[in-house]
Amino acid sequence: MKHILIVDDASTVRMYHRNILEAAGYTVDEAVNGIEALEKALTGKFDLYIVDINMPKMDGYEFLQQLRREPMHQAPAVMVSTEAAELDHTKAYFSGANLYMVKPIKPLQMMTYVRLLMGEESA
Amino acid sequence: MSDHNISEHDFDKFAEFFYRKTGIKFEPSKRYFVDKRLTERMRETGSDSFRHYFTTLRFQASGEELQRLTNLLTVNETYFMREDYQFRCLIDSMLPDVISRHDPRKPIRIWCIPSSSGEEPYSIAMYLLEEWEGINDWDVELIASDIDTQILATAQKGIYSERSIRNVPASWKRRYFKSVPGGHQVSEDIRDAVEFTRINLSEPADVRSMRNIDIIFCRNLLIYFDDKSRKVAAEYMYEAMSPGGYICLGHTESMGRISPLYRVKKFPAAIVYQRPLEAK
Amino acid sequence: MALKKSRKKNTTQSQNEKRDCNQIRNELLSDDASSRRWAARDIVNCPGATHMLLDQLNNEEEPSVRQVILSSLTQLGDSEAVEGLVNCLRSEDASLRNEAIEAMKQLPEEVAPIMATLLNDPDPDVRIFAVNILESLCHDDVEQWLVSVIRDDEHVNVCATAVDLLGEVGSEISIEALTGLKDRFTEEPYIQFAADLAMKRISGD
Repeated sequence: MKHILIVDDASTVRMYHRNILEAAGYTVDEAVNGIEALEKALTGKFDLYIVDINMPKMDGYEFLQQLRREPMHQAPAVMVSTEAAELDHTKAYFSGANLYMVKPIKPLQMMTYVRLLMGEESA
Repeated sequence: MSDHNISEHDFDKFAEFFYRKTGIKFEPSKRYFVDKRLTERMRETGSDSFRHYFTTLRFQASGEELQRLTNLLTVNETYFMREDYQFRCLIDSMLPDVISRHDPRKPIRIWCIPSSSGEEPYSIAMYLLEEWEGINDWDVELIASDIDTQILATAQKGIYSERSIRNVPASWKRRYFKSVPGGHQVSEDIRDAVEFTRINLSEPADVRSMRNIDIIFCRNLLIYFDDKSRKVAAEYMYEAMSPGGYICLGHTESMGRISPLYRVKKFPAAIVYQRPLEAK
Repeated sequence: MALKKSRKKNTTQSQNEKRDCNQIRNELLSDDASSRRWAARDIVNCPGATHMLLDQLNNEEEPSVRQVILSSLTQLGDSEAVEGLVNCLRSEDASLRNEAIEAMKQLPEEVAPIMATLLNDPDPDVRIFAVNILESLCHDDVEQWLVSVIRDDEHVNVCATAVDLLGEVGSEISIEALTGLKDRFTEEPYIQFAADLAMKRISGD
């Protein structure tokens, strides 16, 4: 079963994403900021990361940059943010994201991209 | 009239708040354990409802109530060899890395804060002597600090109950303990090897004296600090450490609630935090 | 080789403590990061500290020094410090923005007077950050502020952030606004989910 890490400081957002992903049969773990996410990523094995940008202690960019330095942890990452500015897109990809999405995300939209990124067939 | 009933939604709200603050997550299966302690604190603080108590918990300026509750919700018994996977990590991973770039004329410096009643620094001393081959080639200074001078005196005496030394291997017990009235006393050479000092981790003048530390054990201390003081304490420890030095926190603690200064480092036996080598 | 005690105490620091404010100000500009960190700590007792720290915060590239500057600004906590932190909310640098939010969360009383202004900032991201800061504010108006956000703010993500917090601090008086929010964003499944969750938590069933 595929395992996904949701990184967001807002508990409602984590629950919402979790509900969508669990309903599609994935298992999910959560982290509230980049440092906790790194701890979980380095000790676990994830097939995908869904990462918010603005978080306390360590933001999403920094998390992805540090994660991408670890050769064993190159699973795809979706960066989600409230910001739609062009600059953020560029920064996200530069940090190691595979996809940038603007919140709030609709369930269908999320599932399409999640499946695509993990190399599964789209429903 | 007071209503000490805690609904499912109250529990969820509390669990999320507590997770955000401490990194400790209580699943619904822990409800009985958590509810019991919440009810106890609600009664003692004279709160007339969960809502009232939750407000105190969130907004009390001193953070005292959150500290009390954290105390109740975390088991903090100290004994020899507690969380010894970190000592394993010290021997197998942290020390080999530290000596690979350490000046051989200078001692390795290990700092335990809080010293508490001494179980942790003495456990580390025994680990170093028994398990680390490098002890033949390197000098190690072991410093144990606490804010409480009384507990430091207890630590220096080094007398412990049977229960406290229950996890010490039998051969180590024979080598490093002797029976005395009141329990088991740590041998003199081990007691002599640890330097006990009084340090308040929130006091700049105290911390300024600590320098060139290679490895810090700071377990189950910062969790009881408020957000502001734990961030400042992490900054002082950063100052006390050599670049590339390591810090170990308690197993329920995460630097993710404290400070972004350190790098997460994964070793086979444990996750620890490192002051970046290249940082100035 | 063996376990041994350190022989001498470090004696150099006693000199350091006697530095006067001019020396400290100079050291805040030193090339050595450790000197800058200590200067950023020690400057809090000197006149004009907030101003110096804010200046340095804008130029400082070493993250460890930035952290100490923010801790000192939090300790000072005067209106000039708060104003400087507000400017950081507009920074392009995500870590500086988030560090400023955390510092402002530690200054509830100082931030409360400017909260209404922040919540009406033209930049939706600044409004989101303002709602983030509300989380730690112990103020009678917090719920009312959140209610006006979800009633009036046009930006879905500002409302989304406010709903998350209402689930924790809201009471019966928020229910009507939450229902209204659902009606305003009927096409947004996230808002429907978050508002329903908040209402469930508020009514406690």
